[in-house]
Amino acid sequence: MIEKNLYNLSNENENKLNDWLLKFPRGQKKPAIIYALHLIQKENKYIKNEHIDAVAKFLDIKKIDVYEVASFYSMFELNKTGKHTISVCTNISCMLNGSDNILSYIERKLGIKLGETNEKFFLKDERECLAACCGAPMMQIDHKYYENLTTEKIDKIFNEIENE
Amino acid sequence: MNNNIKINELCYATLSMENPNSFETYVSLGGYSAWKKIIANSTKPKDIIDNIINSGLRGRGGAGFSTGKKWSFINQDSDEIKYLVCNADESEPGTCKDRDILRYNPHALLEGMLIASYAIGAEVAYCYLRGEFIDDVYLSVKKALKDAYKNKLIGKNILDSNVCIEIHDLIGAGAYIVGEETAMLESIEGKKGFPRYKPPFPAVKGLFGCPTIINNVETLASVPEIINKGSEWFNKIGTDKSSGFKCFSVSGHVNKPGNYEIPLGTPFKDLLELAGGVKNNKKLKAVIPGGSSVPVVPGEKMLETNMDYESISNAGSMLGSGAVIIMDEDTNMVEVIHRIARFYYSESCGQCTPCREGTGWMYKIIDKIIKGQATIEDFESLKSIPNMISGSTICALGDAAAMPVESFIKYYEKEFLNYISKKEKKAFI
Repeated sequence: MIEKNLYNLSNENENKLNDWLLKFPRGQKKPAIIYALHLIQKENKYIKNEHIDAVAKFLDIKKIDVYEVASFYSMFELNKTGKHTISVCTNISCMLNGSDNILSYIERKLGIKLGETNEKFFLKDERECLAACCGAPMMQIDHKYYENLTTEKIDKIFNEIENE
Repeated sequence: MNNNIKINELCYATLSMENPNSFETYVSLGGYSAWKKIIANSTKPKDIIDNIINSGLRGRGGAGFSTGKKWSFINQDSDEIKYLVCNADESEPGTCKDRDILRYNPHALLEGMLIASYAIGAEVAYCYLRGEFIDDVYLSVKKALKDAYKNKLIGKNILDSNVCIEIHDLIGAGAYIVGEETAMLESIEGKKGFPRYKPPFPAVKGLFGCPTIINNVETLASVPEIINKGSEWFNKIGTDKSSGFKCFSVSGHVNKPGNYEIPLGTPFKDLLELAGGVKNNKKLKAVIPGGSSVPVVPGEKMLETNMDYESISNAGSMLGSGAVIIMDEDTNMVEVIHRIARFYYSESCGQCTPCREGTGWMYKIIDKIIKGQATIEDFESLKSIPNMISGSTICALGDAAAMPVESFIKYYEKEFLNYISKKEKKAFI
C-alpha cells in the first residue's frame, strides 16, 4: 500500500526541532514531542492525526507515543478551533473576584458557550489556575495575560483584536 | 501593625527597580557574585551543601523539605551523569509567586540553578516552565539565559574555568500533575505526566535513569544570597525551624492582592494588613493558607496564627506553596469547595483508582448538593470518600483533593446541610 504523506513539517520547524533535540542526551527523541506539537498548533490552531503522524515520522518514534502526549496535555486541541483561543480562569481566586460573571459576559459578547468555537474565537473550557491570582479575574488570549478584568476592559481588548 | 516588617528583600529584590529583569539590574545588586566567588575559589561542593543545610532553607514548592539535605542525597562519588531540574510549573490554585520571580528576577533563579548544579555535580540543568507561560514568562527566561551565556556565566568553561554547566529551558503543555516532581521527569522525557513509584527517589534514579534533584523556583532563587551573606544571616531570619523569607501570594477578598515576600513567622494579621485588609470592610470568614490543596482555616483562628510551617500546622493546615486565599464573611463555602473539587477531578492523571474515581465521586456529589438535588445519604457518602483516597495513591494529588473537602465539611457542615434540607423540604411540599 502506498502511504500518503498528507502533511510534512516545514523546513523551519524541522530546524527548530533539531535544535531542541540538542538539549537532550543523544538518541533521546521523545522529549521533543511536546515542543513539536506546540510548533504545529501555533501554525494550524489545532492538531490533526496527520500532524501526529508527521511528528512521529520526523522523530522516528511510534505514532501512539505522540498521540498519548497530544491527548494528555490540556493545551493541545484535537478538534477544530477558531483563530484565537480564550481561556478565562474560573479557579478559586478568580471565582472569588467575579470570574463567573466575566465568563458569561464573554459568552454573550462572542455568542458562543464555554467549550464552543466559531471561526474567530475558541472559548476554551479552562479548568486550571493560570497563576495570576493576584490579578484576578483574569484570562489569557493566545497565552497573553489580561488581568484585573472588568466588562469595559473586555470590550476594549476585543475591539483591539477585531481591528487587528 | 509592625512597621519594621521587611518586604521583598530576597527573591523580589529587583521588583521595585527599573528594568527589573535585565542582566545589568541584577548585577548592580551584586548578582552573580556568589557564583563568581565559587568559580574563583573552586569551592568544595560539600561546603556549599553544608552551608545550605545550616541556613535552614526548606523547599518552597510546597513540601518544605530541607533543600541542603535533598542535595546531599546525591552520591558525589558516583561518576553517573547527574541532573538538576527547576520546577517552574507553577499551577497550585492561588499561587502566582514564581511567575513574578521568572518575570522580574530571572537571573537570581539562573544563579541559584548554577550553584545547585555545581553542588550536586550536574553539568546539565533544565528549567521546566508550565505551558501556559509560553508567550509570557518564557520570553523573560529565554532572554535571561541568553544574557548569562553571553557573559560566560553558563556553558562550557565558565569564566575560563574547567566548570561546564548547561541550562536548558523547557516548556510543558498544560497539566497540574506535572508539578509533582516525578511526573515532571516523565514529562521532560516526552511522556504523559504520570507520577512514578518511590523508591527509587529521583536523587538515585531520576531523569533518563540518572540521579536528579528537582527544586522549586523560589528555593533556587534564594540560594545566591545565602552564599553571599552566609547561612547564619538566613537562619536568623524567621523562626527556629522556619528560616528566611517566603513569598506569599495573597488573593481573594483583599484590597491589595499581591505577592509579598516577608520573613517566615510574620503574624498573618500583618500580612493581611500589607494586602490592604479584607475588601469592603467586611469580616474575615476563612483562609486557605497554602494553596487549594491544604485544609481551610477559619478566620478567627488564622488571625492568631503566624506564617511559618509549624504555626500553620498547629492551626490544622499547611504552609504549602504560600498561596493565601482570603474569603470574606459573605463567601459561600459550598461554592468554593465545588470549584476546588472540580479542579482536582479535572487534573487527576487517572493512574491510581482511588484518586481517579474518588475525585469524580466527590465532585459529582458536591455538584448535586449545590444544585439542591442531594440527599442526606449523598452527604454521608461524601464524608466517607476523602479517607478512602488519602494515602492510597502513588503521589500526593489524592491527598490534595481529599484534604480540602474534609476541612470544608469539618468547619462549614451547616452550609452543606442548608442545601440538603432545601431539597428535602421541597420533597415534602
